[in-house]
Parts: sequence; C-alpha cells; structure tokens
Amino acid sequence: MTGAIIRRYLKIHIAEAYLAADSAIAIRNLTFNYGRLKVIDGLSLEVPPGTSFGLLGPNGSGKTTLIRLMVGLLKPAGGTIHCLGQPPSPARARSTGYMPQLPALYQELSVEQNIEFFARIYGMKNKLQRVQRVEEVIKLIDLWSRRKTSVLKLSGGMKQRVSLGCAIVHRPPLLFLDEPTVGLDPELRAHFWGHFENLTSAGTTLIISSHTMDDAAHCKQLVFLRQGRVIAQGSPAELQSATGNCNASLEEAFLYFIHKGEAPAGDD
Amino acid sequence: MTTSTFTIAGRIIRQLVRDRRTLALLVLVPLVIASLVGVSIPDKQTLDYIFPAILAVLILFFGFLLTGISFLRERSQGTLERLLASPVSRLDIVGGYLLGFLLFALLQTLIIFFYMVYVLDITYRGELWQILVFQVLIGAGAVCLGTFFSVFARNEFQMMQFIPLVIVPQIFLCGLLWPVAQMPDYLQWAARFLPLTYGVDGIRALMLEGQSLADIGKEVGVLGAFAAALLILASLTLRRSSPG
Repeated sequence: MTGAIIRRYLKIHIAEAYLAADSAIAIRNLTFNYGRLKVIDGLSLEVPPGTSFGLLGPNGSGKTTLIRLMVGLLKPAGGTIHCLGQPPSPARARSTGYMPQLPALYQELSVEQNIEFFARIYGMKNKLQRVQRVEEVIKLIDLWSRRKTSVLKLSGGMKQRVSLGCAIVHRPPLLFLDEPTVGLDPELRAHFWGHFENLTSAGTTLIISSHTMDDAAHCKQLVFLRQGRVIAQGSPAELQSATGNCNASLEEAFLYFIHKGEAPAGDD
Repeated sequence: MTTSTFTIAGRIIRQLVRDRRTLALLVLVPLVIASLVGVSIPDKQTLDYIFPAILAVLILFFGFLLTGISFLRERSQGTLERLLASPVSRLDIVGGYLLGFLLFALLQTLIIFFYMVYVLDITYRGELWQILVFQVLIGAGAVCLGTFFSVFARNEFQMMQFIPLVIVPQIFLCGLLWPVAQMPDYLQWAARFLPLTYGVDGIRALMLEGQSLADIGKEVGVLGAFAAALLILASLTLRRSSPG
C-alpha cells in the first residue's frame, strides 16, 4: 500500500531528474585530505540510477566523508563528482535528500513542524500540496499519533524515523543515508529496509553507508571501502562468490578483499 | 533575502516559543537586571546619565550570548549541516538567524527600556521611535557578532570564553566606566574599532542630548557597516566543518 503511494508520486519526478544523466553518481579520481591525513585516496565509482548502493567499510574508512563530498558539504582536493549529471551545488541539492548520521532535528519542534520545515526549505511552496505531503510522510514513518509531540520526547528509533521523513519529504530522486540503521532494533531495521525497497522500486537511487553486514545484504550494489579506497565493487552475490567459496558471508568476503588488496572482476 | 530567510527565522521563533522555560528566562532576566541597576544606583541624576550606556551594553551582551550559543547548538546537533546540504544559501541561513534572534534580543531590550522608563522613572530626551531604531541596530550588530564567533567555538564551554574576550573589553573601552577621551592614546585608538563605542555614543546622543538619527549619522553608518560585514563574514565561514 505505502509502496504504491510512493511509486505514484515519485515516478514522474524521478524520470525528469534522470533525463540528463546516464548514472545517478559518477566519481573520478576523487581525493580529500583532513590536514595531512588522506581520507579519500583516488576513488572512482559509478552508481546506476534506481538502485540501493551500499558504501561498506570499517570506522574511519571514509564513508561519511565520501557522502559529505557528494552532498557538497566538503570540497574535493582533486577529482570530480557528478550527481545526476552535475557537480554538487545548492541548485542540484533540490533533487537530493540527505539523512546525516546524527538525527539532526530541532528538538523543541514537533514531528510535524520538523518535516514541514524541511519541506519548505526544499522549495515546496504550495501550502495545500505541502500539508498533504507532510501528512503522507508522517503516516509513512508511522508516527501519526505522535505528530504533535516534541522531538525531544521521542525515543532514538522514532527520531531516526523523523530524520528519514525530513530527508524524503520533497521526493528526491537521489537519497544519501549516512548509517541510517545505527542503533535501531531488528524490527525497526526491517521496517526501514521496507521503506528503502519501496523507494528504489519507485526509481529512487539510495546511497547508504554502513558498517554492518546485515545492511550490506539488503543493497543491490556494494562497494567495500578501506582507507579511502574502493577495494571491491559488485552485487552482494558477486562479492561473495569472488571469494571462491559460495557459502562465504559478506563479512568473510570483506576480509578476503582486504587480504587480497584488489577489486574483483564482477564490477559494473 | 529570500523566502528561505523568513522560513528559517520563523522556525527559530517557533522553537523558542515552544521552549517555555527559555522564553520565561528571556523575559525574567532583563527584569532582574533592570531592577538591580535601578536599586544599586539610588541617585536619579546618575541613573539617568548611566542608563543609556547600560542599555547598549545589555543589548550587546544578550544578543551575543543568545545567538552565539544557539548557533553553536545548531552546529553540534547537526541541523546546520543538514541545512548546508539543502538548496538554501549560506546568506539565507545567517540572515534567517539574524531576523529570528533579533526579535528576541529586541524583546529583552524593550523590556529593560520600558521597565526603566515607566517603573524606575528614568527620564530621556529625543524621539522614542528613533531610540528604538538605534537599539535595533545595536541588536543586529550583537546578533551578527554572536553568529560570527560561534564559528570559532567547538562547544558551549569555548563559547563562554568568548564573552570575556569579546564583550568585557568593549565594556571597559566604550565610555561606560570612564570617558574614552581621557584614556591613553592607544586605548582611544582601540576603542575606535569596537562597535559598542559607537553604540554608547549614539544612544547617549539620542537619549541625553535629544539629537536625531540624522545627527548621529557616523554612529549609525559604522554600526550598520559592522553588522553587514559580520553577516557576510559569518556566511563565508559557515562551511567550516570538523572531520567526521
């Protein structure tokens, strides 16, 4: 039901956004340093539209920095980034959604006021459409009965849901989710993945950073990151089979590529 | 200034209105301070003379503190990063903050002003609306100063250290405690670069001498330029971010 609603609203919008670009994201030889520390080291990758693309790696591997570069919060030291065919810019930001690692919400404001604020910020000027969309998103994140409650009084999982609501309210064709399932219980995690799958089936491209193999298994495409470099890329099944052991877990595959130190042949 | 500026200002106002305790403190603290000033200076003539300068100091202090801490909070809770990743321009963000917080800084100023004029019977000359416009100008400078310095603080404790560093020297050098003209040359020179000096000179001219805004064009111009320069500087430095 919710999947059908999302698909109905998203399809036209997304088709327009992708007209100009063959890939949702194209990155070439990207480098970024924090002082002397090389955080992203000559990274290149391409993300096809309408997929869930996982950035997987241990803490400090450069996942969050890569997302912050893609949304335009940081400037690359070298290389190029194209999101939906253009470099990150405030104008391009209208077509992207960003859910940071922290819930990043206004604690005193209610669930409804937070989502409504981001709807306005992302240019939803028509009041009637905005109110309808905010209601729809609140129902989607299953917080209708708490819509007037201050975010301050919500549990951690509820805050994560509000944060997701703020990121999707303007129906972006490209959505960046930085560790969206951290701290969620298994039931809520499954609920989130249900949302994500609905979004991708409607054509939205999801870029999801994570360090858990459970999240990785849900992604259609994955890159393994280590020290700011791509050490492997492919679908979960391709990465698992590249180890030579069909029953290998993604964790084992990750360790295999760390030891091998090179990418498999299954890249796109 | 775009719709986003007003959206951000509206959000700040809504946020503070929903935080009842902070709102109560915003009203109560100026009343306590104003009462303290009135009670501690029993000589009415002295109080009449010193009041305009104290008013300017309090506008600067409240405006700086309120905006500095709030902007820092926006940074530490990640909402600023979220805004910076949106289509909103940096100038819209800082402009929205200026408008939103200016309202509360002015609320505090007006409480002190009218409490002292009507309850403590302070006398003043000059047009009331011109005095209020000049207070808005000092408030705008204070809010921009708070926004700008919050860029250099990583936490509330560091921000608190900016109060003695940014506010206290201005209080000593603005002419509140001793006339600037009687200070050593190098201090007179330093005082010329501090906004509070112009704030105190301007509000004294309006309230004590009954001059108009046109007569204090220099003070109005310097304070306006100061606020505008800080607004632009604050928006330029907004993207400073920590490793993550």
